[in-house]
Amino acid sequence: MAGRAMWKGFIHFGETSVPVKLHTAVKENRVQFHLLHKRDQVRLHQQMICAYEKVPVPPEEQVKGFEMEEGRFILVDPTELEQTEPESSRMIEVHEFVKTAQIDPIFLDRAYYLEPDITFKEYNTLAGLLEEMAVDGICTWTMRKRSYLGALQSSGKTLRLNTLRYVDEVIPVTSLELQKFSLSEKELNIGSELINHLTESFRPEKFTNEHQQRLQALIDKKARGEKIAILRPRRKKSTAPDKLLEALEASLRKVA
Amino acid sequence: MSRKIVEIAGRKLSLSNLEKDLYPAYGFTKAHILEYYRRIANVILPHLQDRALTLKRYPEGVDQEFFFEKRCPVHRPAWVKTAAVNLEDREQMTVCLVNDLETLMWVANLASLELHVPLARAASPGVPDSLVFDLDPGDPANILDCARVALILRDLLKPLGLTGLVKTSGKKGLHVYVPLNRPETTFTDTKKFSRAVAEILQKNYPELVTAKMAKEYRRGKVFINWSQNDSSKTMICVYSLRAREKPLVSFPLAWRDLEDLAGQDDPEKLQVISSEAVSRAEKQGDLFSEVLVKQQKLPHL
Amino acid sequence: MAVTGIWTGTISFSLVAIPVQLVKAVRPGRVSFRLLHSKDYSPLARRMLCPEEEVLVPPDEIIRGYEIGPDKYILVTDEELESVSPERSRTIEILEFIDLSEVEPVYFDQPYYLVPAKGGEKAYRLLVEVMRRTNKAGLAKFVLREREYLVAVKSVGEALALITLHYREEILSEEDLEPAQGELEAMEKSRLKKSIENMMADFNPEHYADQRRDRIMDLLKKKAKEQGQVEAPRVEEEEGEGPADLIAALEESMRQVKKSR
Repeated sequence: MAGRAMWKGFIHFGETSVPVKLHTAVKENRVQFHLLHKRDQVRLHQQMICAYEKVPVPPEEQVKGFEMEEGRFILVDPTELEQTEPESSRMIEVHEFVKTAQIDPIFLDRAYYLEPDITFKEYNTLAGLLEEMAVDGICTWTMRKRSYLGALQSSGKTLRLNTLRYVDEVIPVTSLELQKFSLSEKELNIGSELINHLTESFRPEKFTNEHQQRLQALIDKKARGEKIAILRPRRKKSTAPDKLLEALEASLRKVA
Repeated sequence: MSRKIVEIAGRKLSLSNLEKDLYPAYGFTKAHILEYYRRIANVILPHLQDRALTLKRYPEGVDQEFFFEKRCPVHRPAWVKTAAVNLEDREQMTVCLVNDLETLMWVANLASLELHVPLARAASPGVPDSLVFDLDPGDPANILDCARVALILRDLLKPLGLTGLVKTSGKKGLHVYVPLNRPETTFTDTKKFSRAVAEILQKNYPELVTAKMAKEYRRGKVFINWSQNDSSKTMICVYSLRAREKPLVSFPLAWRDLEDLAGQDDPEKLQVISSEAVSRAEKQGDLFSEVLVKQQKLPHL
Repeated sequence: MAVTGIWTGTISFSLVAIPVQLVKAVRPGRVSFRLLHSKDYSPLARRMLCPEEEVLVPPDEIIRGYEIGPDKYILVTDEELESVSPERSRTIEILEFIDLSEVEPVYFDQPYYLVPAKGGEKAYRLLVEVMRRTNKAGLAKFVLREREYLVAVKSVGEALALITLHYREEILSEEDLEPAQGELEAMEKSRLKKSIENMMADFNPEHYADQRRDRIMDLLKKKAKEQGQVEAPRVEEEEGEGPADLIAALEESMRQVKKSR
């Protein structure tokens, strides 16, 4: 079951207006740990500490600053920031449509499900069309005083809204300054063949969080007072550059 | 907007928006800025050489939004030299090194009016080449008060066997540099030394000098910002333009000239504007060259 | 020129193993604020505090615990955590390759980049190149700190990006949100299709500016002019007096200066 509706809005572009309700699409499930003081096993609290005086600072002594220069800040108070907040609006404004394939997953942030609100004919038409044309709508909206950029998507029967990262939030690949390396056609061909042999269709149900299960088992064991065997993490031996072709060929033999 | 392609040392560079007025109250365009840096290149380049540049860009002019750029802009010509510096969260960052005229022109073309560099070179970020006394006047104190402090500082360092050089910040204050140029110097040393000096001056001239950063202590006094002696800090490079109403320059002054000017009443007389900077540099050469070569040792540490 | 990242290990597919480091792919945007102490404008940092002893606790005195009852915890050390999935703690093992277009966008969580460690540059480049040629991405599992992730490894330009995925069991069903399907009116559909076609463009993230950030920048610009900036005090390594010798020498020098002035 999808999460409760957290927001209502309407998709708008041209003369089209589709009222929708937003639902969360993901619910994380993991073993929660608390941080404790080793000495007395007391649960620790997170505090904001003043780097200069090294004392905890209560919220009323905290102020927001924007670092213009090294160690120099411009102070802003909450009322000033409020004035920069976008006006409340229920509109999910679609600015353009792009081919779905053009959106690199690196830009995808959080996904929401959209449920039609009251009327659903236009919703269905839009959902069907977006899938048929393989396009996403690039849109902006404001929710809870924050502005969002997102992609309006279709999964066939339902519409989804996926927030996108802004370009200044994604570190460009060029900043990694990776070296160029020449590779032989042989290595590239065998590599490609290997990948094709190892290609499967995406079936997410194949993958479960095994670590989670084993972690839970570890905890249960410890709770019963049993001893835990410490297994050292094993690092795989790296393939030396001059043995790369050999390793590729051996791999291909194994799978083909 | 106009665009021009130039060739420097066999390298092509595209210069853009030449007519854009970046100092609107004064009438100093991108073309003027490029021309300034071209003509001052001989004296400024040695002070930028091999240092991690922090660009301060004013794409729309001095009265509009500016931004600092420590990372070397990704879209850069292949010939721009760079270095890798370590950041505190274990990441690395690529910085620009302005080692030649064409890189200086490229940086100026990006409307980086101000050029800021650390006290250490990129290859040895923990070794300061000099110690700096950053004199910052608190209203209503002004550059003339800084001049007084700078002269006392000069006299204080003499018996210790140390020579300093002074330059205008191009804004309200003065910078006194003590060249060291020794591989064993650390920022711990320079910070300790400059702090001790600042505190002695504060003790002896309490109406004129403060060594404390908090705003409440600085009113009407000259703050000696000894904490600038740190690997994470940058200083405006000598001969760099400043982004004020007028294109003033961070310009070196001879001590004897500072003595004369300190006695007069006009704080503006200490400031050097771009055209004057060019003619003085062309006539006298680099008045700050000693900062890069003189070797001195901090005593009593 | 070692680049230390978030995690160091190997990425493997079949019999090929490449030493790599995991680094960030996401950073805070242009306008991000720091919290400061209103007294001295010193930046604030998050630290762990022991409420009972009222002391700040350094990282080596912190242990993680799993709560099994009120104030009852099972302690788990880093070593024990790593031993739960020892292979996966140091290796991103690509189990298979897939066509990324088969993965619904809802699965994608956090992106990172992988950069080659020493000796792995050639094999890294090969993996990037062949993934690009075949237009496939690798599906792998690996353990980072306390969690095991299902990840997609794809080529982005000249690099490998690693994007964590949500598990199927974490994706909520949307069945109950599906509207009743009815006859789609042909005219409505064709009108809408035309509308969409008129608004087609190429995806270019550079075009989408964050308006709120622009407004905040305007505000900051204005404040910089009107009020100027405040400066944070420098954090001392040790508070203490300067070296005695130096102070003495400076005081002697000061005496000489005062005499001559």
